[in-house]
Amino acid sequence: MRTSLNNIKIIDDYLSGCMPHGDALLFEAKMLLNNDLSKDVAVQGVTNKIIRQYGRQCLKAEIIAVQAKLAAEPKHKAYIQRIAKLFK
Amino acid sequence: MNKNRLSTVELREVFFTALYTKAFSAVVRYIARMGGSLEEAQDIFQDSLVIYYEKITSSPAEIIVNEKAYLLGIAKKLWLQHYKASSKHEPLNDFDTVAVTDEQPATLKILHYLQTSGKKCMELLKAYYYDELPVRDIATLFGYSGTHSATVGKYKCLEKVRETVKQKSLNYADFIEQY
Repeated sequence: MRTSLNNIKIIDDYLSGCMPHGDALLFEAKMLLNNDLSKDVAVQGVTNKIIRQYGRQCLKAEIIAVQAKLAAEPKHKAYIQRIAKLFK
Repeated sequence: MNKNRLSTVELREVFFTALYTKAFSAVVRYIARMGGSLEEAQDIFQDSLVIYYEKITSSPAEIIVNEKAYLLGIAKKLWLQHYKASSKHEPLNDFDTVAVTDEQPATLKILHYLQTSGKKCMELLKAYYYDELPVRDIATLFGYSGTHSATVGKYKCLEKVRETVKQKSLNYADFIEQY
């Protein structure tokens, strides 16, 4: 892998907790001395958060599809309608 | 629970269908009792399922004895959060407190951008980090020749998405504060 990808891997290992304890301490010391590195770590952390949010959105879309399918199936239709009546 | 048991859309559909028949009515009754609408009840239940899925597929997975009670517990917590966040229910002495939301607006803007311009990379990264699929499965799914190529592909995508996040963040003032 090229150097920039290796750097991404190192940050990934650090953020995911896969880095051995001693290496993590050394990495944190490097971050204190290198402002660009600490910014890269922060941006990669936000990137991870965005990926998680994307995963959640996709999963919720699957769940909504399950509900729509249930509401359309004859054997579950009455169940879904009974639930909707609670709000009338 | 073994994550492989929920590794495909079809398996998850069976899983979520079972939870709908088991716990949906209990959650809806609770929300109705608390004065919520059907739309709010559906939204809360769907979010509860997302959280429940994440709990049981995380490492180490949580052992849950009573699925229905557990889901109802998550739903109650989410409803309280929703209720507090709604300004019309906010007590007067709390009027100046800032609601802490899970996502910053800038993060959502960047996500929206990535959904349209970098969908393939987002799908790959989701498979790795959210679905936590085995590398071998990811290689097959995304057409890589082997696990090494798939891993390199992951880091290339991470680099691409990270660069987008960096660039876009310069446009969104509220994002800069996170540094």
